[in-house]
Order: sequence, then structure tokens, then C-alpha cells
Amino acid sequence: MELFKPEFGLVFWMFLAFACLYFILAKWAWPFIIKSMDERATLIDKGVAYAQEAKSHLDNAKAEADALLADARKQQADILRDAAKMKTEIIEQAKADAALEAKKVTDAAQVSIEQARKESEHQLRQDVGAYALQIAEQVIRRNMQDDKAQRDLVQKMLSEVESKN
Amino acid sequence: MKKVITAIVALVILGLMAWGYAQSAQHSHHQSEDSKVNPKETIFEHLGDAYGWEVPFSHSMRIPLPIIAFAQDGSLHCFLSSRVTSGDTYQDGDATFKLSTSEEGGYKGKLVQVLGDGSEYRPWDFSITKNVLGILIAAALVILMAMSLRKWYKRQGMKAPKGFKGMLEVVIDFVYTDTIKPIMGKEAPKYGPYLLTAFFFILTMNLLGLIVIFPGGANLTGNLAVTMVLALITFAVTNLTGTKHYWKEIFWPDVPMALKCPVPMMPLIEFLGILTKPLALMVRLFANMLGGHMVVIVLILLIMIFAEMFSTAVGAGTAVISVALSVFMLVLDTLISFIQAFVFTLLSTIFISMAHVHEEEHKVVTE
Repeated sequence: MELFKPEFGLVFWMFLAFACLYFILAKWAWPFIIKSMDERATLIDKGVAYAQEAKSHLDNAKAEADALLADARKQQADILRDAAKMKTEIIEQAKADAALEAKKVTDAAQVSIEQARKESEHQLRQDVGAYALQIAEQVIRRNMQDDKAQRDLVQKMLSEVESKN
Repeated sequence: MKKVITAIVALVILGLMAWGYAQSAQHSHHQSEDSKVNPKETIFEHLGDAYGWEVPFSHSMRIPLPIIAFAQDGSLHCFLSSRVTSGDTYQDGDATFKLSTSEEGGYKGKLVQVLGDGSEYRPWDFSITKNVLGILIAAALVILMAMSLRKWYKRQGMKAPKGFKGMLEVVIDFVYTDTIKPIMGKEAPKYGPYLLTAFFFILTMNLLGLIVIFPGGANLTGNLAVTMVLALITFAVTNLTGTKHYWKEIFWPDVPMALKCPVPMMPLIEFLGILTKPLALMVRLFANMLGGHMVVIVLILLIMIFAEMFSTAVGAGTAVISVALSVFMLVLDTLISFIQAFVFTLLSTIFISMAHVHEEEHKVVTE
């Protein structure tokens, strides 16, 4: 029964074949295959963890967006309120400035009016003086002729002056 | 389309079977009474080694294989097996070779050198026999498979392989990640390559043995020489890498003094255990694969036996049952091929990891 009696040749070749197979596979195949498989396993694990994280992020995203929106609304209201306040302030300021300016202008006008009045008064006085001198001259000239005529003339002159003023 | 192809293939197979059967029937009719079906011889011819490789549907044609032998005077002789397989003697240089026909030396059917006085001398025979070629083919297939997967990872990186490579990866993952790693722990990368090589080599040899025609059909793992080498390698790895504590466990185990001091009973049992472990590995694989092959051959032989005993019609009737049963057996053998390869790997893993016990680890376990 040769099946139960190991042949030397077969043992030799079997050992040689197995040894060669082992050295080839242990050097080039198995470590590389196992490393690649492990790497892929870690990659998949990482991918799953990442996906879960992303999902939870996504779930929170709506709440976060709502919070952001509310915040933005609040800021908008604040800005609008500030703007309104600033507007009234500016208007008030402008009004005050305008009033001040107007007052200055009226003051200046009053001063110049006063001056003009004084000047005109002065002028009037001179004019009246001059008229009075002219009248007196006329009166003095008529006086030489007739008393009555002189008086009439003075009266006439005076009424002229009166009507002029 | 598929159905048509299936039908054609089935018809061709049936036709070939009918033709083969008619031929063999004719063959036995032509022969005289003494060349009846000899089940034992047929079985061992199919299961044993040979110097040529059978071709389907032919009793005489063989694929010639190289014979390499050292003659008695130490000279090397190489020639093709076709020179001697038909029963001829072959003169190569000054040495004459033939296949032994006598039962005497215990090497019937083996290559012998015919000496000057007519006696037979069994030379150192390194021939590439059917089994050796089968082993080389199996080794080449394993390298091809592993390298194709390696190439895939080199080219595709992180992409998962598909088809056959995907299946290969699943098996590697099952053997390495789910079996070797949990048992070996951090030593797995060191011994994993050996165990994976053993697994795939055994699996390929097992499956090749189930294919009837070339390049299959060689009964590799059902041959004691093959399983012996595998078991011896595991034995060597186990005992050469064993820790101090492993040897202490064997020769001075933690048992009552009476069991080990005057009569070293426990050390003896433990020592025998070292030897029985590889023996069990060797015989388990051998017997399982041999048994499977033998059942299929016997089932097929039943057709011939019944045809001879009763009539051709009975033989044909038996054929239906026999073929159905052998198909079932072959399917079962496919499963066994995987299981036995896995069991060999699993047990080797356990034996090796058991030889790597350390004092501290052991204490933790016993506490």
C-alpha cells in the first residue's frame, strides 16, 4: 500500500515546493495584503465615524441657523434704532445750529439798522440844520422888505419843512 | 440562451459517458475471464502516484512526465516517463530502468534499476511524478491568486476587490482576522504568513484533487507523504519556537510530586502529546481526503461491478444512482476540502500559540 508509505521523492518535492511557496508569499504577498486590508478597515471605520459626526452636525445645523437668524434680527433692530436716534439728534443739532445762525444774522441786522438809524438821524439833523439856515437866509432877506411878508414866508417855509418830514 | 448551453453541455457529457461506457463494456468483452473488474487495484491506481498523467477516455495514453533518478553508482538519469510506463525497460547510459512488476520489494509500480544479476534496485527517485506536478501546479495557483490580490491593492489602493479576488479577500479575512489574530494576539503577523500559506496550499490541493482531469485529479492531500511534510513543518515551528515555560510544562508540569518524581508519568504523557499532535494533523487531513475520494471511486466502480455481475442494463440503472450519489459526495468533498484546510490551519495556530505560553500569562489564566 504505497499510500501509507511516504515516498522520499514526494516528501522532498513537497517540502521544496512548500518552502518556496512560503518564502515567496511571506515576502511579497501576505504582509502586503494584510496591511492593505487593515488600512482599508481603518479607513472605513474612520469614514463611518466621520459620517456620524457629519450627520449630528447636520441635525444641529437648523438650530444653529435659527440662532444665527435671531441674532441677526436683533442686530438689525439695534442698528435701526440707533439710526433713528442719530437722525433725530442730527435734526435737533441742525435746528439748534440754524437758530443760532439766524439769531446771529438778526443781531447783525439790528446792529446795522441801529447804525443806519443813527446815521440817518445825524443826516436829518444836518439836513434840518441846512434847511433852517436856508430858511433863515430867506427870512432874513424878506425881512428887509416887509414884516408881514417875512412872517408869511417863515410860515410857508415851515409848512414846507413839515410836509417834507 | 443559458438553458440552451446547459442542455448542449449536458448532452455532450451524456454522450461521452455513453461512449466511454460502451468502450469499456466492449473492452471487458474482448478480454478473457481473468481480467475482471478489480476494485482494489483500480482504487489504488487512481489514488496512488504515477509516472504519467492520465488523459480522459483513454486507458493507455499518459501525459509523459520527467523521471529523475540517481542510479546505484550515484549517476543522475533523466528521461521521460513514456519510456517505461508501458512496461518497457529503458537503457539510459549504463543503467537500465523499468517499473517494478513484482510485489516482492514492496515497490510495485515504482521505478527500479535492473542490476546486472537481474535483481531490482530502488534508486533515489526524484521524479516529477503526477503528485509532484500536482503539488507544483497547486503552488503556482496559490502564488497566482495571492499575487493577483497584491496587484489589485497596488493598483486600486483602497477600493474593495470584486469577483474572485473579493472572495479570496473574504477567505483571507476569515482565516487571518477572525481565526489567527484572536488566537495568536500580537504574534499573529509573525506566524500568519506560514498559517495562511498552509491554508491556501492545502485548500488548493484539496480542490484540485476533486477535478477529475488534468491539471486536477492527483490525490495530493490524500497522500501521507504530503500531509506528513505539512504536519512536520507545524511540528518544527511549534517546538523550535517554544518558550522555556512550554518545555517546563512538558517535563516538569504543575502536578502533585508523586505523578512526576519517581516514575515520570505526566512528563511522559506530555511528551507523547508533542508527538501525537502532528500525527493527528497528518492523519486527519490524509484520512478525510482519502475517504472522500475513495467513496466516489467505489460508487462509480459499482456500475462496473453490477454490470459484470448481472447485465449491462443493471449497470446502466446503477449508473443513475451512482452518479447522483457521487455528485453529492463531490459536493460534500468540496465542503470538506475547505473544512479540513481550515481545521489544519486552526489546529496549527493553536499548537503554535500553546508553545508560546509565558509564566505571567499562564498565572493570569489559572487565577
